Amino acid sequence: MLGRRGLWGNLTLTVAVVLLLLFCLFPFVQILSTSLKYQADWGNPSLIPTQFNWDAYLELLGWGETEELAIPPSIERLLDRPGLTDAQRERILAPYRETADIFPFPRYFLNTILLAGVAALIALALAVFGAYAFSRVRFTGQAIIQRSILFVYMVGGVLLMVPLYQIAVGVGLAATPWGSVVALVLIYVIQTLPVSLYMLGNYFRTIPYSLEEAAAIDGCTRIETIFQVIIPLSIPMLVTVYIYAFIIAWNEFLFASVFLRQYDDLYTLPLGLQTLFVSKNAIWDRIMAASILTLLPVLVLFTFAMRNLTGGLAAGGVKE
Amino acid sequence: MASVTLENVIKRYGDLQAVHGVDLEIRDGEFMVLVGPSGCGKSTTLRMIAGLEAISEGTCRIGDRVVNDVPPQRRNIAMVFQNYALYPHKSVRENIVFGLKRAKTEPAEIHKRLAEAARMLRLEPYLDRKPAALSGGQRQRVAMGRAIVRDADVFLFDEPLSNLDAKLRHDMRTEIRRIHKNYGTTSIYVTHDQVEAMTLADRVVVMRDGWIEQVGRPMDIYLHPANLFTATFIGAPSMNILDGTLDADGVHLGSHTLPVPPAKQAVAAAALEAGGGRARPIKIGIRPDFFEDCAFATMGPNSVRLDGLRVEIVEPLGFDREITFHIGESSAMARLDLRSDIAEDSTIDLCVDLERVHFFDPDSGKNLELVA
Ligand SMILES: Nc1ncnc2c1ncn2[C@@H]1O[C@H](COP(=O)(O)OP(=O)(O)OP(=O)(O)O)[C@@H](O)[C@H]1O
Ligand SMILES: [Mg+2]
Repeated sequence: MLGRRGLWGNLTLTVAVVLLLLFCLFPFVQILSTSLKYQADWGNPSLIPTQFNWDAYLELLGWGETEELAIPPSIERLLDRPGLTDAQRERILAPYRETADIFPFPRYFLNTILLAGVAALIALALAVFGAYAFSRVRFTGQAIIQRSILFVYMVGGVLLMVPLYQIAVGVGLAATPWGSVVALVLIYVIQTLPVSLYMLGNYFRTIPYSLEEAAAIDGCTRIETIFQVIIPLSIPMLVTVYIYAFIIAWNEFLFASVFLRQYDDLYTLPLGLQTLFVSKNAIWDRIMAASILTLLPVLVLFTFAMRNLTGGLAAGGVKE
Repeated sequence: MASVTLENVIKRYGDLQAVHGVDLEIRDGEFMVLVGPSGCGKSTTLRMIAGLEAISEGTCRIGDRVVNDVPPQRRNIAMVFQNYALYPHKSVRENIVFGLKRAKTEPAEIHKRLAEAARMLRLEPYLDRKPAALSGGQRQRVAMGRAIVRDADVFLFDEPLSNLDAKLRHDMRTEIRRIHKNYGTTSIYVTHDQVEAMTLADRVVVMRDGWIEQVGRPMDIYLHPANLFTATFIGAPSMNILDGTLDADGVHLGSHTLPVPPAKQAVAAAALEAGGGRARPIKIGIRPDFFEDCAFATMGPNSVRLDGLRVEIVEPLGFDREITFHIGESSAMARLDLRSDIAEDSTIDLCVDLERVHFFDPDSGKNLELVA
């Protein structure tokens, strides 16, 4: 047999794989562990909490009783100083408020799901027709269009941020909350489109062209053929592309932070998390619990995507 | 139902011309077979009729309608693809009725036609399966079913049997004949198998390199091939082509002389005249099946004897036996029956009916029709 390894080779490989896995997984385990520890336990290097603390989760999800944080006497004294404006007073008090005010998890969760869901749906719809055109239709300028789309993908988001924001301001989208959301959805669609087009295009090319010819003979127009033949045969890939676009939008921070900064009601989870991190209210178990809750849907979707990638719906239709 | 007419139809792929000016009329209800070796443009011609391939030049008519610019979905044709092209995500039933549903046929009518096709193609037990769960022959029958349920003007078949084994191929051939008998739909059938062409066709089109070599009824092509190509392409085993010379005495083949029948002497004289009266080389075509063992032959007025032929190889095939023998410079094959019990390296006397012997011009390959 080719490339047979000896005992040592096998051992080295196993150790390397385990190390790599540990290296990748450790941060996640650390997050989970910290989110479940009591404050007294934080210094404990063990990953298993001495006592499990679910308060942070319950509080984030709005199920726990909220404990009042005691305001230390020194702060009380500070507040009594005359000449403080309300705004200043508010700022001093902020860290001692309930987390729910700073990080309303359910609302951010819903915001993010809607934003990512809609953006991914639009990206998928555009990608289906775009990828079909690239893989099946010959038209002038095809190569140029195809390459420029990939080019967009290669330009980093930071570079585009300022010009895109200026455009959004210029056309008046940035002025209103909903306008900002629309601008953000557009940006997510544009960001995910190149890879979506690429994945779908390659998949469509594996569908035998004679199936489309058969559909044409059976009376289908091109559009009908796409809906009757191409889409049903591509469902695993469509799900994968949707999840890909969804996860990108779900985790996106940079553009969200620029476009939604002024509208706390519309914050997405990454934006909310960041606000939580930098607030005085940053208490480890809460931050970590919020992180876990943000991660969870991604994890679930990813598992689902993996299962779908082993497709093969097109088998049996044509003789190779 | 409708006729199909091609007028000077040309197909170009860039600089390459795949089909050169095809003129063809397929009559209403006719079963037309396009036959020819691989790459001769059969599929291209069929696909131009289907509308799957654009016509570079010329006109294609279905019925009275010029369809050059009509997309396939509006030509009202049904087609069986060489690779089946079944919808993998649909069940056999859905595959078969898909076209009917697109055409908004009444549900009762769909049901009736599905039942009829399923019965005829013996697909009833498989209606709820997906194509992946069928054998090659069953898939082929589904592809056939998808075409025959349609109320199409024309059925197109692109080598529908080429993926099947010999037995299934034979059964399906019978099936196709039966279907055509029942429905009588104008059919155009592409194959490179001359047996399919002979058995299925009302008329055959023999193609080579994008040209039509001959059009005619199968037996006419078999008995009166227009040129060397059709002569050797149609019929199995293939026609013997021997080198001979034509002069005023007749046709010389080695030490044998075949007389030119009186009725054809004018043509022979004209052929000689064209060569300035000198003896000219000629190709002689005789099918292996038309040789007879003189021991059992009944001599007709046009029969000639070829005596003392040396037998090289004898291949018994049951009822038939094929013998390879030397004549003149060449070797030839004859198919005799089991009565002729000859040994290899012996000699035999063979008789042949001059009516069945063809003379071809060695340059143009044309049948000189000296005897026909
Ligand atoms: N898309 C194409 N581009 C360029 N040349 C082509 C194309 N399709 C077919 N041809 C050429 O046209 C000629 C005829 O092809 P066609 O498919 O009609 O042959 P065929 O008679 O059906 O052969 P086969 O029995 O192998 O199917 C061939 O020489 C082929 O190489
Ligand atoms: Mg072909």
